[in-house]
Amino acid sequence: MSQVTRRFDFEVDAVAGDARTGTLRIGSQELATPNLFPVLNFYGGGTERSVFGGGIHRTIKEFMIGADRIGGGDYSEYFDCTMTSVASLTDYNITHERYQSYLDTPIKERELFEPYNGTLFVDSGGFKFLDGGDIDGSDFEVDIDQEKIYEIQKKMGADIILNLDHPIAPDDSHEQRMEKAEKTALNIAEFLDLSSDFDGARYLTLHGYNYSMMDAFLEKITSIVDTREIHEAFDGVALGSLVPKKDNRELLIQAVTDCQEVLQDWGFDDMPLHVLGISSRAVPLLAALGVDSFDASSYLHNAINGKYYKSMMESVPISEVSFENCDCPVCSSELHRQRMRGDAEYQKDIYGAVAVHNLIIQKQELATIRDRIRAEGTAPLREYIESTVARDKQTRQVAHKVVNQSLGGYFQ
Amino acid sequence: MKKAPKVNEVNEFLEIASDFEDPLEVIRESLSNSYDAEASEIEITIRSRPQGSDIIIEDDGNGMNERDLESFFDLGNSQKTDSIGYKGHGTKIFYKSDRIVVNTAKNGVNRRAVMDNPWEKLNRQELPEYELTKADVRDENQGTRIKITNFRSGEGFDPESLTYNKIHHYLKWKTIAGSTAHFFEDNPREMDIRVDLGEEIDDTRDELVTTSRLEFPDEQLEPSDDEFPAERMCKHYEPREIEVEYDGGMTTVQIVGMVGGKAARNELPTHGRHSVQFGVWFAKDHIKVEQINETISHDNEFIHFFFIVNCQDLELSANRETIRNKSNPVFRAVRDEVEFYMSKVTQDPWFKNYLEIRREGKLKRRARTQESSLQDRRKSVTERERFEPSNRAEVLLAVERASQQQAGFSLQVEDYQPDADIQAIVRHQGKLRNAAIHHQLTEHFKNESPLEHIDLIIYWEQGDPTKLNEVERTGYIGGEIEIDHDSGSITYQRDGDSSYIELLSLTDVFKPKTKAIADD
Repeated sequence: MSQVTRRFDFEVDAVAGDARTGTLRIGSQELATPNLFPVLNFYGGGTERSVFGGGIHRTIKEFMIGADRIGGGDYSEYFDCTMTSVASLTDYNITHERYQSYLDTPIKERELFEPYNGTLFVDSGGFKFLDGGDIDGSDFEVDIDQEKIYEIQKKMGADIILNLDHPIAPDDSHEQRMEKAEKTALNIAEFLDLSSDFDGARYLTLHGYNYSMMDAFLEKITSIVDTREIHEAFDGVALGSLVPKKDNRELLIQAVTDCQEVLQDWGFDDMPLHVLGISSRAVPLLAALGVDSFDASSYLHNAINGKYYKSMMESVPISEVSFENCDCPVCSSELHRQRMRGDAEYQKDIYGAVAVHNLIIQKQELATIRDRIRAEGTAPLREYIESTVARDKQTRQVAHKVVNQSLGGYFQ
Repeated sequence: MKKAPKVNEVNEFLEIASDFEDPLEVIRESLSNSYDAEASEIEITIRSRPQGSDIIIEDDGNGMNERDLESFFDLGNSQKTDSIGYKGHGTKIFYKSDRIVVNTAKNGVNRRAVMDNPWEKLNRQELPEYELTKADVRDENQGTRIKITNFRSGEGFDPESLTYNKIHHYLKWKTIAGSTAHFFEDNPREMDIRVDLGEEIDDTRDELVTTSRLEFPDEQLEPSDDEFPAERMCKHYEPREIEVEYDGGMTTVQIVGMVGGKAARNELPTHGRHSVQFGVWFAKDHIKVEQINETISHDNEFIHFFFIVNCQDLELSANRETIRNKSNPVFRAVRDEVEFYMSKVTQDPWFKNYLEIRREGKLKRRARTQESSLQDRRKSVTERERFEPSNRAEVLLAVERASQQQAGFSLQVEDYQPDADIQAIVRHQGKLRNAAIHHQLTEHFKNESPLEHIDLIIYWEQGDPTKLNEVERTGYIGGEIEIDHDSGSITYQRDGDSSYIELLSLTDVFKPKTKAIADD
């Protein structure tokens, strides 16, 4: 392996029980953790004039860059990090020429995206992709390989990248899971070779619902790639495959707890832990367990379904909101209040504004969580959980479980 | 013309006094009054008399002036605002007697009020009066003595059923003597309570002495190492005051409680049926009123818990037995808050561990039972002379053994579904045959299993031959049946169709004796 000048650094600056705050440094960028990477589609089939298109994604990007179409303004602090997927390129029918033009300049080097300077996490994207010149938009599901994925991640200008992984499904048999682990391991070997001169952060994907599954996964990986090499080459760990289980709070908590234990036993616990695809209500609990970052698209999916966040725990139909109780920059703007009330030419301008409001709510709550972790002792974070997640009957029991497990409990 | 509704005072007194039946309620009211009068000692004496019971209550409290005495005898004229039992109904129970004498000393004056035959007069529609006299006493002399002569208990109530034990439990569960206020006060006031029952009521001891506070059994956080390791485990949950916001205001709840095993809980004085006394109790004035066990989630048995939730914004019925304002937002908000608090208790790692220790204890006991049952079974295996199936699965084992051990016996079980009517498909002399398997042949008929699709019935023994004869005599599921033991077959005819079923008795196959060999 060639020697790389490492630009990545992760430093923990405060702990409360198992929860921690820290700083991810990639080059000159700094990102406070725990943090949430909103999922965003940078290329949605459009042209530069339409901020590269993409419906509600377009409006969100207009907020991100403070475009005139949304009345300007600086929303950049809420886009201090974003998550996008290589697979998002397949979500729209695009021509091969457009595909190539998307990749000819890294996202953050484009003039259009100049105001955006957040940490860009590019997921490997799974199994579907467009290939070669054979793009007509109707059927371009083709297996792609690690090499192509890495090439795209690099061309997009990613700060954090993942190897191409094969997520497991809840019904997979042990054999199927081992097969996927083996394919993933082969990709990891190739990924490490290909990306040895990558100057951002590389995250290792880990799959499983409990200790034994994750342990078996790592056994398989390390039978192909040396444990020490993995430890030296990877900067962080991304726990995946939990999205189908996202509503099973008990399992989610178990998986993350077990994951921490596996990482400890394998000596990987000095790396930051990212949980893929999980957000909202689970966030305070996962943060309390020591997860450093999350990503999710729930802020915009909920917006599309007309849901306006009152807090991380509660959403209400957009038609019932008066906007007076929220002092976020979206709700403070007369233009956006009007749009959110339905007075807009395009749906994307109604729901895009709601999505950005939802994102701001989540980002603000995460800032609160960071403050609570930084405060003295575990009581501030415990009280936060007690007044939020634990007040929801569906999540009450797991909230208590996390408090007992990670924050010293209520009756000690 | 405006008209004011009228009240029949006599009936009002009768009605309220009738709400109370039990002389124990006299004690409850007296204790509360003495506590409100800041007494430090109170003595209650009960004697059984032919007409009813004499009750004497004596305390060293602040005594009563004339207004206090008026409130004591009047109805709906209570001076009370922040003390126990604000309605002033309680003392009206004393009217169910032949004589009430109150001696009360306050500020150098002793007041004596005597009311004769109150119950008889009320029942004659006459309002009883009391005679008040005054005398000077020394300033230090303070306190009140109330004597109620021939108290009329409710129908069928026998004062002699009042034992010290029963009174003690009642006091601790239903009166100020079982108050949990002391958990929440820095300098809680104490009151010593003595109860003296006449020998004709309970002669097992001279008196009962207790205090005005309920204590929990001592904590024992660790399991013991005997057969029931969690039985005496006990954890106290420290008193907590929680502010509760409800639609229209704020209130405070005070929660204190414990979790414990059966032995620990048995150390608590309870009232009524022991097993249903635990769980979560709503209290007012820190005296338990009503259970709200629904605040403990269903995955937990309420019996492990004993929590008292005090809220002064609860409104009680006149006889203090139930909560009156359950439809108000305050009640609902308080109940939700308690549910939230209890969810923390049920998720407490100590509690989880306690349950785990109980479970482990149970499994260990089960393992011991298994061990002794296995010893019995092995003994019978060792002692018997040959393999002896006792159920269907063992009959199948017999088939396998016979195939291995008996020359000329060839039968293999290819498919076995224990719940099906025809349990097995066997290969016999190269052919697949549908076989019913039974320990006794009689079982087949008992279960009314159809015969149409059976080729073969395999069984260990025949069972009661008279049962089979009855089947032949009365017919089987609308058909004629004939069992030929000599040729080992059954002929069954129904609706003109005829079935032939072969019988295979494994006892016959196993005639040569083979002694079972135990593996030890």
